[in-house]
Amino acid sequence: MDPIIRVIDLWKEYPTDGDKGTAALRGARLEVRSGEIIALLGKSGSGKTTLLNLLAGIDRPTKGRIEVEGRDLEAMGEKGRTQWRRLRLGFIFQFFNLLPTLTAFENVFLSLELAGRPDPQLAVQALRDVGLEGKDHRYPHELSGGEQQRVAIARAIVKQPLLILADEPTGNLDTQTGRQVLDLLVEQCRRASTTMIMASHAASTRRCCDRIVRIVDGAIVEEAPAVDFEP
Amino acid sequence: MAVFFLAGAAVLLSQNGDWLRVVQPRVWKFPEDHGSHPGFKTEWWYFTGNLSDQVGAKFGYELTFFRQGVRFAPMNAENPWSVRDLYLGHFTVTDVSRGSFRAEDILSRSGPGLAGARMGQMDVWLLDWSARMREGEILLSAHKNGLEISLRLKPRKPVVLHGSNGLSQKGAAEGVASYYASFTDLETSGTLTPSKNGPAVTVAGTSWFDHEFSSDILAKDQIGWDWFSLHLSDGRDLMIYFMRRADGSVEASSSGTLIERSGAAHHLARDEIALDILDRWRSPKSGGNYPSRWRIAISAAGIDLVITPLLADQELVAAGLPDLVYWEGAVAGEGSSGGRPITAEGYVELTGYAGNLKSILK
Amino acid sequence: MKTVTRSFLRYTFRRRGLTVLQFLGIACGVAATVGIVLSARSALTGFSKAIEFLKGKSTHSIERPAGPMDEGILVRLMGDPAVEAFSPVIERSLRLSTAAGAPGFARGSTSGVLARGYKPRASSEPKARPLTGETARILGIDPFLDKNVRPELAYAVTTDKADENLSDRLTFLTKNNAVLVEAQLAHRLGVSVGAAIHTVKGDFEVVGVFPNPSGEPLLLMDIDHAQRLFGLDGRIDRVDLVLNDEPGFLSRWENGYHVQTSLKRRETLAHMLRAFRLNLEALSLLALFVGIFLIYNTAMFAVVSRKKDAGILRSLGAYRSEIVGAFLTEILLLGSFGGLAGGVLGYFLSRFLAGEVGGTISNLYFFLQPAPPSWSLWIVVAGTLLGGIASLLGSLWPLLELVRTDPVRALSGRTADRRSGADARRLATIGAGMILLSLLVLFLSSTQVYAGFAGAFGFLIGASLLTGLALVLVSPPLKRTMARLGGLPGKAAAGNIHLNLGRTAVAVAAFMVALSMSIGLSTMIGSFRRSVERWLDNQISGDLYISSMDELDVPVSFYDELRAVKGIEGVDPYRKTLTSFQGTSAYVSAVDAGVLQRFANFAFLKGGRENWDRVKTGEVIISESFARRFGVKAGDTVTLDAVHGPAKLRVAAVFYDYTSEHGILMMDRAHYLRLFEDPTITSLGIFVDPGNPKRGEILAEVGRRAGDYDLPVFSRDELHANALKVFDSAFAVTTSMRVLAIIVAFFGIAGAILTLFIERQREFGIYRALGFSTLQVGGITLMEGVAMGLLSFIMSLGVGTAMAVILIQVINLRSFNWTVFFYPTGMPYLLAAATALLAGLGGSLYPIFKAWRTYPQMQIREE
Repeated sequence: MDPIIRVIDLWKEYPTDGDKGTAALRGARLEVRSGEIIALLGKSGSGKTTLLNLLAGIDRPTKGRIEVEGRDLEAMGEKGRTQWRRLRLGFIFQFFNLLPTLTAFENVFLSLELAGRPDPQLAVQALRDVGLEGKDHRYPHELSGGEQQRVAIARAIVKQPLLILADEPTGNLDTQTGRQVLDLLVEQCRRASTTMIMASHAASTRRCCDRIVRIVDGAIVEEAPAVDFEP
Repeated sequence: MAVFFLAGAAVLLSQNGDWLRVVQPRVWKFPEDHGSHPGFKTEWWYFTGNLSDQVGAKFGYELTFFRQGVRFAPMNAENPWSVRDLYLGHFTVTDVSRGSFRAEDILSRSGPGLAGARMGQMDVWLLDWSARMREGEILLSAHKNGLEISLRLKPRKPVVLHGSNGLSQKGAAEGVASYYASFTDLETSGTLTPSKNGPAVTVAGTSWFDHEFSSDILAKDQIGWDWFSLHLSDGRDLMIYFMRRADGSVEASSSGTLIERSGAAHHLARDEIALDILDRWRSPKSGGNYPSRWRIAISAAGIDLVITPLLADQELVAAGLPDLVYWEGAVAGEGSSGGRPITAEGYVELTGYAGNLKSILK
Repeated sequence: MKTVTRSFLRYTFRRRGLTVLQFLGIACGVAATVGIVLSARSALTGFSKAIEFLKGKSTHSIERPAGPMDEGILVRLMGDPAVEAFSPVIERSLRLSTAAGAPGFARGSTSGVLARGYKPRASSEPKARPLTGETARILGIDPFLDKNVRPELAYAVTTDKADENLSDRLTFLTKNNAVLVEAQLAHRLGVSVGAAIHTVKGDFEVVGVFPNPSGEPLLLMDIDHAQRLFGLDGRIDRVDLVLNDEPGFLSRWENGYHVQTSLKRRETLAHMLRAFRLNLEALSLLALFVGIFLIYNTAMFAVVSRKKDAGILRSLGAYRSEIVGAFLTEILLLGSFGGLAGGVLGYFLSRFLAGEVGGTISNLYFFLQPAPPSWSLWIVVAGTLLGGIASLLGSLWPLLELVRTDPVRALSGRTADRRSGADARRLATIGAGMILLSLLVLFLSSTQVYAGFAGAFGFLIGASLLTGLALVLVSPPLKRTMARLGGLPGKAAAGNIHLNLGRTAVAVAAFMVALSMSIGLSTMIGSFRRSVERWLDNQISGDLYISSMDELDVPVSFYDELRAVKGIEGVDPYRKTLTSFQGTSAYVSAVDAGVLQRFANFAFLKGGRENWDRVKTGEVIISESFARRFGVKAGDTVTLDAVHGPAKLRVAAVFYDYTSEHGILMMDRAHYLRLFEDPTITSLGIFVDPGNPKRGEILAEVGRRAGDYDLPVFSRDELHANALKVFDSAFAVTTSMRVLAIIVAFFGIAGAILTLFIERQREFGIYRALGFSTLQVGGITLMEGVAMGLLSFIMSLGVGTAMAVILIQVINLRSFNWTVFFYPTGMPYLLAAATALLAGLGGSLYPIFKAWRTYPQMQIREE
């Protein structure tokens, strides 16, 4: 089976007088097959977010290629990349990134609207699937951290994406909530056979994943499949 | 006789105590008495005529200059605008062949030379309308809205004084009278433009000139009058006026004058004139029911005529005064005079059949 | 509605305070423009309608080049074949008064302002009549002739009383003081037939009321009464004509007379108002201009605060166009609604302004009674469009910003404009360039008014672009000062201003623009006023002035009488009249050169009293406005249409003058009489030797005699005061515009402060951790506000002064062609400083109030 994502010799560098805090990628390479759940490990600021952003097409590489479903992301053009995100990609952030002026329902429904399937029932169902039944009309500031992330998950899965990118999904939650959210996320992915790349520097991530990759000095290093040990 | 346009007689004499009254016989002097008599409240110079052009098409015209005194002495003698008299002019043309009747009027005060009438000679003007006597001839000129006239009138007979040596009684009371003189037969020539933007037509014919002045012309119980001026083909001229009372009867002091070919004038008393109305015409504009065909018989003079208007609608509504409505039109007829058949032409004036003459005359 | 759009629009509701500020700012800006344009338009429409109505059927009018003409012309016109109808007209304006007075023409009554200390004759009414201020047009006509020219003026000359005689029924003609009153005026004054109308010229009796579709207050009087009323013996102002052959008529009448078509008359009058209108409308744009700044500011804030959301949306796969569309919708909705409200507000403003505009025009130019602007749905449409366009203009740059948003950075939560410094420098370069360009435009185009306005606006825009850099440069010393004054909160405040340069710079710029315009206008008006004062002191230096207001001419007999009075050193018979010159209008005036040479102190561009010698020999002097307008200088020759044909006049000198922007050409009275045969005297100036011990008695005597003629008398001080009152009322409209601009800018500052505050709410956690109390947080906000206000003020010192110079040397000079001398005072600056301070304080109130409400618990920590 062909990999749905292929990263070939990817470089992302910043000019020397630029911002700090965003690491460079130097010749990263990766292949992801359909249905895989991959943990992307690395220290804080090692470039995990950068890689995810590049995969989403939000950021543009300095050098190298990203292929999604066999197509060159660069060659797809801005419109193509937007389409990629709109229809085929789900994104989950550390800080939830819900739109503060929309309700939980509306946040999820937005995703459907963009994907061209504006069916409210799907949104309601998705919220139910993540255990937030009855909280459709709450605004993000009225929900706890865990609840907000659940909404984010619902927003991501409701359009049945090809790939979910999760950037430190539990980073802003306490341990117990984080574990719940993580389980939920993994369960949803498994159920729909959705591919997921999850960036994290938490140990607990390892358990749920099929593969573990780590970013070291800008390059991606494959690790042994989920082995229970502390970093 | 002519028409009053504003107020021939004031009912209340208090304001007009200064006006001269027509009571005693007058010593006439001509040509001086062709001029203005400002001591009297009302005065007019009244020209009518029957004309035809070079191919025989018939026209009638009327041109009147009327002076109505408002105040015996103007409030402000130094200012020419200060009202003393008001002048009104009426100008009508009847185009018989086209069946059209056009009327124009102007109204003005004397102002700084805008209108006026000289004393001692006939020289009356109203803006650019004028009637002037030069070397025994009268020159008439008027134009408005494309209607134009320019005529030269030569008297064929001497001046005629109506009534009792020119004192023409109109009502029973003393003073309800006018001084009245006429040129009854004026040889006329000149040009006439009967339609706007139309050509000027060379015309010739006969005109009649009336000059009356008075301070009190309509009695309380009178509503109007019928007036006739006729030229008979045998050289005689005839003037008749009947003052009509509110009760329908004719005022006893109504009278007429018969002028012989020679120019000699005879006064006709009321009972010497038999006037029968043979037909009527109702005006669609004013609703007035005007007589429209007459039989005039003066047995003492051997006159028997039937007179018909040349055009039914020769009714005038003065633009400046909608209360003033009267009929003044060219007429023609035939009959006999002194036993011989004759034709006649002239003008007839009918007042008080419509509008509100009384309110104007007050 | 799409969810994306909805997510943006919800902010409008969330940030209610800010939305309200935005809304009000746009509404005020639009209201200013709509208000001025509407009132100016309606004034002129009303005036056009009135002219149209009064024109009637007339095709032309004929008058003398200067002054009224002999009525003898009427007989000649009567006979002219080209004249179909004619009507002589005396047209004046007359001020109405409320209190009863003696009947018109009564001897010994005084009217107008009673000069203090001068007792009138005992038999007269001693009190001055209080004036309503309402002025009416009065026409003296001959109703019979006039009917042919103005048939629609449907009045009845005769009364209805059927049982009265003719003289009594023609009261219009026969009663000395009879007038016909138009229906609306009659209604306003509460008069009907038989009642009395009181005017400065005595009381009139109403003999009839007539309908008047023109909407202008109109009185009709018989021509002879009008002649007596205005002292015109045998003269009329003009004759209105219906001509059927213009070339023929002109060939006979052109020499010595001024024949113009009715259309030309209207154009001439409208043209006189050009400069005035232009200045008004430009002024109104100022308020809108400031409003655009405000929109920019709030749009920028919206963009900045939406950047995060924009990033999220991009990551979710929204197109840039969808995001921009949502943002645009928000902006346009707010702008359009604000504009709609502004349109309605502007309509009410225009009703208020119309009276002021009309009054000013009447005082300065010619009689004009504007009808109040009528409501039309187009006003709302216009306002909405204006608000929408202004919003678009203001949000153009922020939109671009939004489009350029890098989602990566947005998502990472960094909202501060790190690149502000570089941006500020870039903008400043553009700004400097604009300033240079504007100055170039101002200097090069020496006469064009539009170029002047463009230059002024360009200068303002350029200066605003410099704000960012200025803030960056001033930031370190500001931080130090504020740290010293306000401690840690002070330092934080200063830091915030720098940090959020994108927002603060714009607010400061907008406020600076408003303050600068305020300073500029105040200084210009103040300088102008001072120039006018000095001019009055020099040129209008008589001891007494007779009949200098209200179109009341002085009878020549009175002039002669006064000249014979012992002790009077000089009497100046002043005549000023409008004439046509080089296809447009200018004033010609006649004076006694000898008297003025001795007693007046005209400020000539070159030379002094010796210039009068040449005036005595037949040369003329021209005002600066005349010189600049027509490009004439001393030594040139000008040609005027006089009674006996064109007259060549040599210009002896040019003098500074503010009588009229259309220019005055002044000559000696003897020369004027020869050229124009017009003995009219507009007013008299009386000069008495100050050393004369009998001075007071002499002046009292003059006042008494003037009372006999029903003429108002003014002392020098009173006349000056009246002139300045006219001046002040002329600038009343300007003041209202200034106020509006400041209000809009205030909303801008308040909005900026509020946005900063809102931003900071996220950082409150940090502040709390650092130990700041609510008071201190409020203090930060307050100091931000005050600092921004003061920064605006400091910048406006320079820009405002520059604006004053531009307004005086360029705008005023080119619009009105006269030199206004620069007399700067401290008042405008003080006022600006106070405004800045108050705005800063006021703008902070709401955020402080919010802080108080949201974080009461911080107070506990304090304790």
